[in-house]
Amino acid sequence: MKDFLKNTWKHRAHIVLALPAFLVLFFIMYVPMTGLVLAFKKFDYTKGIYGSPFCGLDNFKFLIASKATFITFTRNTLLYYVVFTVLGTLLNVTLAIAIDQCLFKRMAKTMQTLMIIPVFISYAAVQFIVFAFLSSDTGLINNALGTSTRFYTTAGLWPYILTIIKIWKDTGYGSVLYMSVLAGIDTELYEAAEIDGANKWRRIWHITLPSLIPMITVMLLLSVGSVMRSDTGLFYQVTRDSGILYSTTQVIDSYVLHAIFKNSNFGFTAATSFFQSIVGLLLMIFANWLVKKIEPDNALF
Amino acid sequence: MSKHKGNKADLAPSRHERKGLGQIILLLFLLLFTIFCFAPVLLVFISAFTDEIYIVQNGFSFFPEKWSMAGMKAVLKYGKQLFTSYAVTIFITVAGTFLGLLIMSMYAYSISRKDFRLSKFLSIFLLIPMLFNGGQLSGYIVFTNLYNLKDSLLLLILPLCVSTMNVIILRTYIANSIPGELMEAAKIDGAGEYRTFFQITLPLLKPSLAAVGFMMATAYWNDWQNALLYIDSNNKKPLQLLLVSIQKNISFLLNNNNVPATVRAAMGGAIPQYSATMATVIIVIGPIMVVYPFFQKYFIKGLTVGSVKG
Repeated sequence: MKDFLKNTWKHRAHIVLALPAFLVLFFIMYVPMTGLVLAFKKFDYTKGIYGSPFCGLDNFKFLIASKATFITFTRNTLLYYVVFTVLGTLLNVTLAIAIDQCLFKRMAKTMQTLMIIPVFISYAAVQFIVFAFLSSDTGLINNALGTSTRFYTTAGLWPYILTIIKIWKDTGYGSVLYMSVLAGIDTELYEAAEIDGANKWRRIWHITLPSLIPMITVMLLLSVGSVMRSDTGLFYQVTRDSGILYSTTQVIDSYVLHAIFKNSNFGFTAATSFFQSIVGLLLMIFANWLVKKIEPDNALF
Repeated sequence: MSKHKGNKADLAPSRHERKGLGQIILLLFLLLFTIFCFAPVLLVFISAFTDEIYIVQNGFSFFPEKWSMAGMKAVLKYGKQLFTSYAVTIFITVAGTFLGLLIMSMYAYSISRKDFRLSKFLSIFLLIPMLFNGGQLSGYIVFTNLYNLKDSLLLLILPLCVSTMNVIILRTYIANSIPGELMEAAKIDGAGEYRTFFQITLPLLKPSLAAVGFMMATAYWNDWQNALLYIDSNNKKPLQLLLVSIQKNISFLLNNNNVPATVRAAMGGAIPQYSATMATVIIVIGPIMVVYPFFQKYFIKGLTVGSVKG
């Protein structure tokens, strides 16, 4: 204990340096965690979070009462997470390797610059671009095909549309992190493999991919914590929060955002938020435990 | 043995020079993906300068037959609000990015000190928000009801200011790319902790600061959600809200076929004009496109994620 205090005093400068970010984290991230208690309270705006009366599990009764909605947006959240994560990781890694392997260095560089651009466009702007493609009378797709599909009222098409938009927006930038790993691979490894007669594919399989595994694991682990969260802009802005599309496009986050604006279903929303946070936490702990079993070095904590 | 030698002689130059069929196919694949990524962006620019009536009659097109500046001129109708929104967006972007970079690199520097016992606690404190957080609703209620910050620019700056991921990136860079001996040497020469940080570590952190800073700046520039949730007064509305309100007006007109002509007239510049909308999109995304190439070179060097564990 005395040692610890001595060490802390010796490093007082580090505490001072860490303090501002510590306070921001505390007030912006930690204090709102206490807001989860609202799931068990009947919120009264004038009494505030801590003053509102407890109401037991009443709010969770709403969850059961509106089961259909609850199941739909939970299912959507999970399915989109799985598709986006699996497809995203595959494409990010493929693209990183492809750019790395390309011998036309200058062209590869220019192409990469163009590929990253979509990540910098906000979803508030993206939805106008999507509209230009999908609009039923002025849209590019309907014009090119000579059809008049009403995309904005056909829920069944949106899982594909949203997946394509997600790939378009994030793949270019997503590959950058993996490229930073590829840049760090010792070229002597490749040369040695070449001398041993390994062809290009074998070199990729035995050298490139294994060296990417730690980064892939870290990125997957980090993403598990947000299984229950989604890219709100994609689901709220791009779909224009259109009720007709909810069956395939509403996710927990866009539901909550909608509820905040409409000031509706407070108890239900609080219970949903609670569920969202707890499930996210449990999944994260489970995933980390799993990684620790298989490859302790890649675990997060 | 001799065979190996022969192979080496054959293959060694090939790694650098031979661009065979495989390379051409690879290049085509990359080219296709580039077109997929960039064509929609190009469409924005083309549509903004396409004649309005042409779009209404023929739809959006990559090769319009009639060009026009009317869309760009229509944007100017927003007048003062456009300038105000620009000022707000620039302010929160610059203030937020610099504040965030400073306090995050200070935090990263602290937790990278190996003999600092509290650094373990600080690392966990940093990591927890990534695993568990209160969600949007709690955030909304705490910020508006408990802190009473509704309609305050602080809510556009602070929530995006410190992110776990960015601190991890900065920490990794300090651990991997800044030699510990350098900082030790500074201390032996009599520099205090603060001087070591500000004069040795911070300048060497530049590639990482550039990459993280640019990503932060785009996050601030593109943030529509916090603005939509918290900002009410017109003189605090950032650019992204302009886009959101245009979209709302369009939906309103689409969903109400019998909106009286007078109401349409009253909505003035916000009436859905395809080219004008695209011109607004350019006004909003343009500055990032211009600045981005200058920062790209730092991306691969500065954005490495390493172990979070202390």
